[in-house]
Amino acid sequence: MVVLLVLKESLKSIYGRYAAFVCALIKFFLALAVLCLLNQNLGFMKELGNPAVIFGIALACAFLPYSAISLVMAGVMLAHFYVVSFEMTLITGIFLVIVALLYYGFQPEDSYWLILTPLAFAFKVPYVIPILAGLSGGLLAVMPISCGAVVYYIISYVKQNAGVLTNDASEDITQRYVQLIRSFIGNRTIGVFVVACAVGVLLVYLVRMLSVDYAWVLAIIAGILGQLTVIMAGNFVFGVSVPLLEMTIGIVISLILAGLYHFFVFAVDYNRTEYLQYEDDDYVYYVKAVPKVVVSKPDVQVQRMNNPKRSRRER
Amino acid sequence: MVNEDKIKLMTGIAMFEKREGKKIFPVNRYFRSDYISSHILCSFFCYSASFALGTVIWLLYNIEYILNQINLDDVFGIVKHGAVWYLSGLVLYLLVTWLVYWKRYEYARRGLKIYIAKLKRLEKRYEFQHKAKELTKEGGRHGGASRA
Repeated sequence: MVVLLVLKESLKSIYGRYAAFVCALIKFFLALAVLCLLNQNLGFMKELGNPAVIFGIALACAFLPYSAISLVMAGVMLAHFYVVSFEMTLITGIFLVIVALLYYGFQPEDSYWLILTPLAFAFKVPYVIPILAGLSGGLLAVMPISCGAVVYYIISYVKQNAGVLTNDASEDITQRYVQLIRSFIGNRTIGVFVVACAVGVLLVYLVRMLSVDYAWVLAIIAGILGQLTVIMAGNFVFGVSVPLLEMTIGIVISLILAGLYHFFVFAVDYNRTEYLQYEDDDYVYYVKAVPKVVVSKPDVQVQRMNNPKRSRRER
Repeated sequence: MVNEDKIKLMTGIAMFEKREGKKIFPVNRYFRSDYISSHILCSFFCYSASFALGTVIWLLYNIEYILNQINLDDVFGIVKHGAVWYLSGLVLYLLVTWLVYWKRYEYARRGLKIYIAKLKRLEKRYEFQHKAKELTKEGGRHGGASRA
């Protein structure tokens, strides 16, 4: 535990010293991961699969705000779609513009959820995203997370049906639009996961705000249980199937990641909680003070008592 | 000589400005009603544009039915339904907008109060230092006179 606390302090001091560099590095790797994911799952536009292009785009993203990064990624995704089907590009483009108009007027700084959510779905740990959002932000994060989930399922759909989408020249153009839209409206899995994410964020946020001991741990557990309940209900009512082993592993990894976040951001010692009561002219104050767990970084200084370079004779 | 308390206070103010400045200062240039209504107007246009785009998708989905089977009565019915959806969605969206920007304005107002309190404290510190300097000067002068 002490080792972890010391590590935390070291990381904090490193971040404090090189904040700009660390942020750029995080953005670079995030953009790289998303670009690799897009190329692995879609990869229809060969020019965008070139390692130099991927590296160049990721490098440019390192110096952009998250809202601009999400725009770049949306552009890359639509470029891949365009090679397969114009109709798919149009429908996805309209969906993204609607999201941008309705949500990003409010909170453009939350864009990283829109990028992180499809990434978490691809790594089979989608349960961690609502928990982290509920712990770190407000309820408005529901919007980008839900949109991120929809984007992931759009990517999956195009990946699975690329052949059909490319070779449907024989079909009527109206039929193509109808089929595409019906495949999304009729997809119960999207709805179930969107609701699960929303319930997860809501539960985590509400439990975290409670003035009880271990509120953050309770919030993480409540978030996981809430998501599981919605997915199980989706399974019973709509027949949405989720592989049990994959889900269990995903939940365990999500719990570990959420625990790490909790440790690094909100490490407090509830055993040393103090309750204070005082008053001024207008109010009586009942204060609950929970001390943070802080360990000072060991400052190791080696002091040489003898000079090894000097020979025994000289001494 | 360096005054440690003053430096701490100034650093605190600078950090507060850096962290909260973006949220506080642009908001406090407006009256609350102006601030909220300008964003409500913006939200109205955004929602209307989104609804228009959503209508495009709906038209694409139902284009076959619209081209082949639709008659004038159906058109009126669709327009009526569309208007109900549009208005109910608009009311909900504007309500959310009002709530969000009302909260933001209140947050900025409280933040500005804290900022002004910090500045006043710094000003008092300056006054105190100035007075202390004057007193020491006077003391020095008096001391010189008595020695003479």
